[in-house]
Amino acid sequence: MRKILSLLLGLLCCMAAIAQDYSPFTAQTERLQSLARMYPSLVTLKSLTKTQGGKDIWLLTIGTGNTASKPALAVVGGVEGNHLLGTELAIGFAENLLKGSGTDSIKNKLAKTTFYVFPNMSPDAMEQYFSKLKYERMGNATETDDDRDGRSGEDGFDDLDGNGKITLMRVESPIGEYKLHPDDPRVLIKADATKGEKGKYLLLSEGIDNDKDGSLNEDGEGGIAFNRNLTYKHNTFAPGAGDFPAGEKETRALLDFLFDAFNVYALVSFGSNNNLSAPVPYNPLLARERILAGYLEPDAKVNTIVSELYNKITAGKDAPRTSAAGGDLLSWGYFHYTRYSFSTPGWWVPKAKPDTAKKEKAFTVEDPVANYLRWAQQQGITNTFTEWKTIQHPDYPNQKVEVGGVDPFVLINPPYKMVVDIVKKHTDFLVKLSDLQPEIDLINLKTEKLSNGFTRVSVDLINKGGLSTHSKLGERSYFLKKLKVAVKTEKQELVGGRKITLLNSLDAAASQSFSWLIKGNGKISIEAGCPTAGTKTIDINL
Amino acid sequence: MKHISILLSILCCISLLPAQTPEQMFKAAGSPVNPKVSVVWNRYYDHAGIAEICKKIAAAHPDLAKLESIGKSFQGRDLWCLTITDFKKGDAKRKPGMYIDGNIHSNEIQGAEFAMYTAWYLTESFADTKFIQELLADKVFYIIPTINPDGRDSYIHQPNSPNSPRSGLIPVDNDGDGLVNEDQYTDLDGDGNITLMRRKSPNGRFKIDPKDPRNMIQVGPDEKGDYELLGQEGMDKDGDGRVSEDGYAFEYDPNRDWGWGWQPNYIQNGAYKYPFSLPENRAVMEFVMKHPNIAAAQSFHNAGGMILRGPGGQEDVNTYNAADLQVYDAIGKKGEELLPGYKYLVVYKDLYSAYGGELDWFYAGRGIYTYSNELWTPYLMFMKDATRDPFDNSTYSFDRYLLFQDAFVPWKEFNHPQFGKIEIGGFKKNYTRAHPGFLLESDAHRNMAFSVYHCYSTPKLEVQEISKKELGDGLIEITAVIANERMMPTHSSQDLKNKIERPDYITLATSGKIIAGLQVENRDLNITKEQKNNPQTIEVPNIPGMGAVTVKWIVEGKADAKYTVSVDSKKGGTAEGAGSR
Repeated sequence: MRKILSLLLGLLCCMAAIAQDYSPFTAQTERLQSLARMYPSLVTLKSLTKTQGGKDIWLLTIGTGNTASKPALAVVGGVEGNHLLGTELAIGFAENLLKGSGTDSIKNKLAKTTFYVFPNMSPDAMEQYFSKLKYERMGNATETDDDRDGRSGEDGFDDLDGNGKITLMRVESPIGEYKLHPDDPRVLIKADATKGEKGKYLLLSEGIDNDKDGSLNEDGEGGIAFNRNLTYKHNTFAPGAGDFPAGEKETRALLDFLFDAFNVYALVSFGSNNNLSAPVPYNPLLARERILAGYLEPDAKVNTIVSELYNKITAGKDAPRTSAAGGDLLSWGYFHYTRYSFSTPGWWVPKAKPDTAKKEKAFTVEDPVANYLRWAQQQGITNTFTEWKTIQHPDYPNQKVEVGGVDPFVLINPPYKMVVDIVKKHTDFLVKLSDLQPEIDLINLKTEKLSNGFTRVSVDLINKGGLSTHSKLGERSYFLKKLKVAVKTEKQELVGGRKITLLNSLDAAASQSFSWLIKGNGKISIEAGCPTAGTKTIDINL
Repeated sequence: MKHISILLSILCCISLLPAQTPEQMFKAAGSPVNPKVSVVWNRYYDHAGIAEICKKIAAAHPDLAKLESIGKSFQGRDLWCLTITDFKKGDAKRKPGMYIDGNIHSNEIQGAEFAMYTAWYLTESFADTKFIQELLADKVFYIIPTINPDGRDSYIHQPNSPNSPRSGLIPVDNDGDGLVNEDQYTDLDGDGNITLMRRKSPNGRFKIDPKDPRNMIQVGPDEKGDYELLGQEGMDKDGDGRVSEDGYAFEYDPNRDWGWGWQPNYIQNGAYKYPFSLPENRAVMEFVMKHPNIAAAQSFHNAGGMILRGPGGQEDVNTYNAADLQVYDAIGKKGEELLPGYKYLVVYKDLYSAYGGELDWFYAGRGIYTYSNELWTPYLMFMKDATRDPFDNSTYSFDRYLLFQDAFVPWKEFNHPQFGKIEIGGFKKNYTRAHPGFLLESDAHRNMAFSVYHCYSTPKLEVQEISKKELGDGLIEITAVIANERMMPTHSSQDLKNKIERPDYITLATSGKIIAGLQVENRDLNITKEQKNNPQTIEVPNIPGMGAVTVKWIVEGKADAKYTVSVDSKKGGTAEGAGSR
């Protein structure tokens, strides 16, 4: 029975490996469950909560022995509902890591490190990719009144051209701010009034002003977006953010788990924010504000080091610059969780070179959609653009209205065949990042007999890792444990030195010396460590 | 522990038996002469005692009081809430609401008695006080005596000082050493009070106060002292060189846990994990979200004699605009009049910046006019300004001459395992922050009166006028004036700015066909704004305090038909008026 089951599992696994598209939630769950079945000694799968939409928020814990006692790296996907790649990266990382768990290097890694993988924080929203009407949904299934008029969901998108996708709508209008892209007339760009350019189109999302309030598509299915619901610079009352921070079940489930996970030293999330392609620069003014708004200097340095590592491994270029919008996970991870926090979209549309054979020239105006269309054509990707088509629109009875534009999702999620390689690179990055984890050791132990039954014991505490035991900011938080050095005596008397010393942190490659005067013979022990850097104990016989 | 609660309930039963017959009683003005629920107001009650009193109030006044538990504390105690209104008049959920809670900080206990007194007074005075009858016809009170019952019982039943615990009882590792609560206060002399430790020392910087030998005062810079103070009763239990550094006395602060301007603990000391990460506050938040009719709120703290309003953080100064300040100031100033010794102050400016406080969420997060009263002020001792400063002997004198030294644990020798021969003594936990018994009822009454004034000031809407004008061609113009007869608008400025609550709905019911609906900005000059969608219900963003809004409709119908206009406001309540020839 068991054999058949595992055969079947293997088969399922193969099927997953040759999947042709991103996984809907049920398939994500199956992939996670099959990992838990295939690697029972390395993996535990737990549902932290169910979203308003009834979907599990999964936590996959990868490690050996007492996983809570080892320094941990948290990996979060599905930070944004439209970012299917993020979930793919998180699950794919787990699959790759476990596939390699037979090798010595991964075996040793899992003896020392715990990985907490949260594959999908936006399962309600992400399902929109797989539903009849495709649009980039960010909000969960919580009912919201996005325009705060007392009615919920009264003015959502409308699929006017009936193609099952929400794209754009352009309306010919003398007050329009948009014009056609000079190099690709399928694309609209903003007219630059300072250069005397005149717009010709209004550019709107596809739909009707169903409630006739003068705003278009302002209150659809809505919901609360995970990456806008966290506590740092929460945009209270803005659509998708919620009436207060951490109001959603999935948000609280993640925060509750992580705040109690004192062993997490770094958080890597996959989403639109990117401090891996380019690190957050140190800004002394922001770093001194009462409500801290910039990285502390040592933490900015760590960001630089990790960013270099990321770029070396993934070899990505020309990543679009991002800035965190508030309520986001990347900022929360650093400013409120006070751990090293990193985020990357994992992929972006590469800069397409003009095809000289087709007499293409470099774009006179840079535009992401124009770039995408050129790149897609070179890749042989078809059917991701809907040609503009005139429709009758009730809100603009006497104007020319056309529906068309680039498909939702394609600008941030690569064609699925590219995913395997992206996952591999990011697995390498995460493993290399965990090589840097702080690690406490006690070295240079010396015992000097000063007279009969009177001994001076000295030892050096060092951090062998590539990261400080605590982020600089983490030294101030009470959700991180101090680095503790304790001498445990039985019948001996501690004459000099402290029984317990608590240190705020120990930098990478730094050391600190300790000594004690002890009267008496027999066994004593010295224990040093903290959850983020592991614990080391030495026994001494006096 | 159990004995105490049994004893308490026996005491309660005894106090229920009327000691006198009604004929023997003569009414003192403004107090219920023969209340159905007899409560002794010169003592404190633990959580079980509060539950008992609340249940009696609800049982004795079924048409005026309903009791529910809005959730459980961390340790599983019920958060009891009394809803007080005239249930026979109108829908309680649609009346403008006044929310009152107490005891958010564990040691700040009298807020619970003050809140409960309010419920008791309203229900017991209803029968013979016309003002209360009218108030409860219009308004509803939601009264939660303690929103921190774990902390309350801990304060009452465990050894504590007047200042401990402030926190609730979720265990926290204060010193970050990986162990939780391993070095708490120690009640060395076993009297239930954590007092002070002093030791004779040739190098001490303190001496006995010549004006009252119980008091210790600091010597001058050139003066020799003979005592050192060793802090509060305790010892270094975990051997880390610090005394009582990981107890439950101050861990997290339930009043830094609310969903507006929340900041983490490295910026705002006392913050927990995220807004509403404490179960008690979460229950309150959910209750408030389910009761959008709450227009006013009061939370009771101690001490210092303050009527506080937000903002708690300087960043929010602009949140409070002139229109709102007018309302805040009017009620706050009235409070100074009603509460001798209390001052109306602003948290960030007059106290300190505090992020994530309860009053900030109520106002900025929900648009509710909210005050926090710091109950008890040394002023009340001799009805003149006084402080808790050791060089001001009022606290000692008051204890000596009015409490007969019941509030002080006399200094007594003790052999301390770490400090050697010391003395232990000082004020008991029930003194300096909690009201002494005989002043409890009178200050509770004054604070109740302040809440009543606050509640009275919530909006009262009326359809003041409905007039008709024939426009010809079978068209009628119906104009309605909706007035707000109280000081508070239906939407505070913060509410308007962020559209926290939906607009007020003014609806015309008629058999005719409604062609158009308009908000009238200036009736005399006929300046109007049409609402194209759903014209029979006009949505007005606000109905100002002591003001009115005017709307009109164009109807295809008969002039002698019946036209009913109703207003429906979440915080302002409802009203209806009919006009027919």
